[in-house]
Amino acid sequence: MSVSTQEINKLINQDYKPGFVTELETDTFPPGLDEAVIHRLSKVKNEPEFMLEYRLKAFRHWQTLKSPDWAFVNFEPIDYQAISYYSAPKRKEDGPQSLDEIDPQILEAYKKLGIPLDEQERLAGVAVDAVFDSVSVATTFKGKLHDAGVIFCPISEALREHPELIKQYLGSVVPHTDNYFAALNAAVFTDGSFVYIPKGVRCPMELSTYFRINAANTGQFERTLIIADEGSHVSYLEGCTAPMRDENQLHAAVVELVAMKDAVIKYSTVQNWYPGDKNGLGGIYNFVTKRADCRGENSKVSWTQVETGSAITWKYPSCILTGDNSTGEFYSVALTNNYQQADTGTKMIHIGKNTSSTIISKGISAGKAQNTYRGLVKVLKSAANARNYTQCDSLLIGDKCGAHTFPYVEVKQPSAQVEHEATTSKISEDQLFFCQQRGLSAEDAVSMIVNGFCKEVFRELPMEFAVEAQALLGLSLEGSVG
Amino acid sequence: MTTSTASRYAAEYPLIAAALPGQTLPWLRHLRSAALEQFSLQGFPSPREEEWRYTNVSGIEKKLFSPSLALTADDVDAEWLNEHKIADAWVLVLVNGRFSSELSVLADLPVGVSVMSMADALNTQAEKLEPYLGSAASHLEHGFIAFNAAWFTDGLFVHVPSKLVLERPIQVLHIVTGADVMTVTRSVIIVEESAEAKVIETYISRDGVYAASQSGTDSTAGVANAYLTAAVTEIFVELNADLTLYKMQSESEKAYHFGGSYIIQNRDARFTHHNFAFGGLLSRNDIHVDLGYASECELNGLYLGTKRQHIDNHTRIKHLKAHAISRELYKGVLDGRARGVFQGRVIVAEDAQKTDSQMNNRNLLLSDDAEVDTKPQLEIYADDVKCAHGVTVGQLDEKSIFYLQSRCVDQETARNMLTFAFANEMVDKIKIKSLHDKVLEQVLIRFPQEGVNKEWL
Repeated sequence: MSVSTQEINKLINQDYKPGFVTELETDTFPPGLDEAVIHRLSKVKNEPEFMLEYRLKAFRHWQTLKSPDWAFVNFEPIDYQAISYYSAPKRKEDGPQSLDEIDPQILEAYKKLGIPLDEQERLAGVAVDAVFDSVSVATTFKGKLHDAGVIFCPISEALREHPELIKQYLGSVVPHTDNYFAALNAAVFTDGSFVYIPKGVRCPMELSTYFRINAANTGQFERTLIIADEGSHVSYLEGCTAPMRDENQLHAAVVELVAMKDAVIKYSTVQNWYPGDKNGLGGIYNFVTKRADCRGENSKVSWTQVETGSAITWKYPSCILTGDNSTGEFYSVALTNNYQQADTGTKMIHIGKNTSSTIISKGISAGKAQNTYRGLVKVLKSAANARNYTQCDSLLIGDKCGAHTFPYVEVKQPSAQVEHEATTSKISEDQLFFCQQRGLSAEDAVSMIVNGFCKEVFRELPMEFAVEAQALLGLSLEGSVG
Repeated sequence: MTTSTASRYAAEYPLIAAALPGQTLPWLRHLRSAALEQFSLQGFPSPREEEWRYTNVSGIEKKLFSPSLALTADDVDAEWLNEHKIADAWVLVLVNGRFSSELSVLADLPVGVSVMSMADALNTQAEKLEPYLGSAASHLEHGFIAFNAAWFTDGLFVHVPSKLVLERPIQVLHIVTGADVMTVTRSVIIVEESAEAKVIETYISRDGVYAASQSGTDSTAGVANAYLTAAVTEIFVELNADLTLYKMQSESEKAYHFGGSYIIQNRDARFTHHNFAFGGLLSRNDIHVDLGYASECELNGLYLGTKRQHIDNHTRIKHLKAHAISRELYKGVLDGRARGVFQGRVIVAEDAQKTDSQMNNRNLLLSDDAEVDTKPQLEIYADDVKCAHGVTVGQLDEKSIFYLQSRCVDQETARNMLTFAFANEMVDKIKIKSLHDKVLEQVLIRFPQEGVNKEWL
């Protein structure tokens, strides 16, 4: 896990590495959004009839909504008619049956990103679903997972092959009426991952989805649904990157998790969308709705996120603790530099008895960035003996940035114990001096201190990601010291 | 927001406008008409506004309170009133929002100090007031301030000249005598360079003395009056000056109370606020402090809610300049179906380096139906700062109860003792003896201490 200072130093001096563009022939819809586009989208994806109806219902609802403006972020209004809602690499009629049939250029792109689509590669313990623009291009280790009874496939495939599961669970945690971006997503989502872990199964390997935006002028609308049935266990990772472009691109995803009795879901994100350049030009708008429903008793959902990319991050991975004794956890590192803006946090809704939640949020703000923690802890009357502990710390690097904390605590149950603590400070001069006195350069010292500041969160990440996350932090802080 | 209700108040405005003080002053007329226009537009704040999301004031809209135009000092029993006066203080009494000179005690003021009613001040010291009135509390902030600016009938004016230390406190006693009245007052307190003062705001109603009977919510219904208090105080603490402000709010059980204190602190100024929110059916406190260079502020608060009370405390501390220090501690005890709200916001501006800010909010829920909503916020735009906030919501510590039980204190008494101790921490911060005893008495009425030796207190 330890990354030597030299390595970080090397990384600090790099540009946004995944910022390349892959030249491909694509099937892309012309920009614009109306019911015809949704009809066409549904047809291209060969979806069952109920899905089309669901999409249209969501679209009609979306049209009645206004873009929300309560978040602590600033951006020009998005022109939804200027976005193309579908872009997929051209492929043969039947779709690729094996890796050999995938466009070598796509394989090349993933190789460059360090994501092995080849099952013999080094990260053999991780099954990957690779989503390229609007479609999933490959899913590895399908066979091995199938043997364990685990369903891990693109959601568009699940729509065709497991419609009964989709019907039962899609939109049951984040309904299409939930918010503006959730409604938009429900109308136009193109792909994402679907995971179903049957009763009593411990998923034999880490599952992972890698999202890549490649095409210009498109939006990526990803939809992920994970269902962990009674007594099952799954750990899921997602990663994301995009090319460097001057215009902003929209990524509006919805992630739904359902945990049944005694089930455990661990969901980790390393988000590294293109953050825009030093002057705040370009970058991805990452407007995401993530929510988990701990439906069963003793279920547990743990969110871990490392947010280093995106021009604007606006997301609140939440837990609805319905089942008695269920547990929700949220560990977050959000780093903003240059002109990045992040408004992120979590919601913990305590409904069942003896439910507990833990929130650890670490915000780091550098350059001219604004970093906001916004969280809600709500204890309903039914949640006897609910317990929450929240800690959110902010670190400021530079005198032009902002760090904000907006926690909301609503308690209707006298036996609940809710604690919230927040601190904001800069890196202490004493710490810096101490490190420098022992021969570290200022930048190394800052990297070290920042990594230490985030340690509690990194500890929660799966091993492979922890290394990547530490490296990313060093990378994103580039130029903010001294 | 129902604009129709706003206009119900607005429609009545011309009937009373002529009776409001300061009509001869063009700047004030202008301020009032701008505020009236603003209020007609937006009315009272709605819970859809972020700063009001936990407090719904539609009850005020439904009832149409009217100003009491006639002076009704005769209704007030001087003996009863004496119990509420702080010993050894200059007392300015406002009955239904109007100054009563016969009830007030303003003799022997040191030379140069002004303590008078707002209406008198507008007659005699208008030029002095002009730069201050409306400058700390903008009517654009929200509907209540606009309402207050347009409707205010009187208030307190205090001016302490530089380098003068007032040994005796100044008390302003707000009394409401009737039902369905609204009392709208605007006060201005100016403490000039290196001066020192202590001001006590007391809100009581003649009939609505808190009934100790906890059971049977409606047993006192015949006595308690519904009325509206909307008081705005603008405070200016100048260079190196020192002001301590106490506020004891024990309005009638059915009263609506809005009290706003808007403080501007100059360089090196010190300001301490002790806020005791006990009464009223629905009450809201706004405390906004703007801090100058190296100034210090301390905000303390205690809110006790029983029955169906709703108590909202809204504080905002703006660190505008470097080296300022702020400390905030609010404690709440909620019983019955009471709901407590705490919103604390600390803003550190870009230039406010070396800011040191701490905020704490502790809440004790005593019953199944009590609720607390708390929202501490940090907004920080400078990097060399030390800011922290903490919130806790919970019940009494089981270990402490056990400890007392193991010392032969029965469980109920143990709970009473611990609850009382939790609240008493705030009461003990009061440095004026006679006020301390009055506040303590109020706490004890609300949370009776059977089995506790009063001698200890």
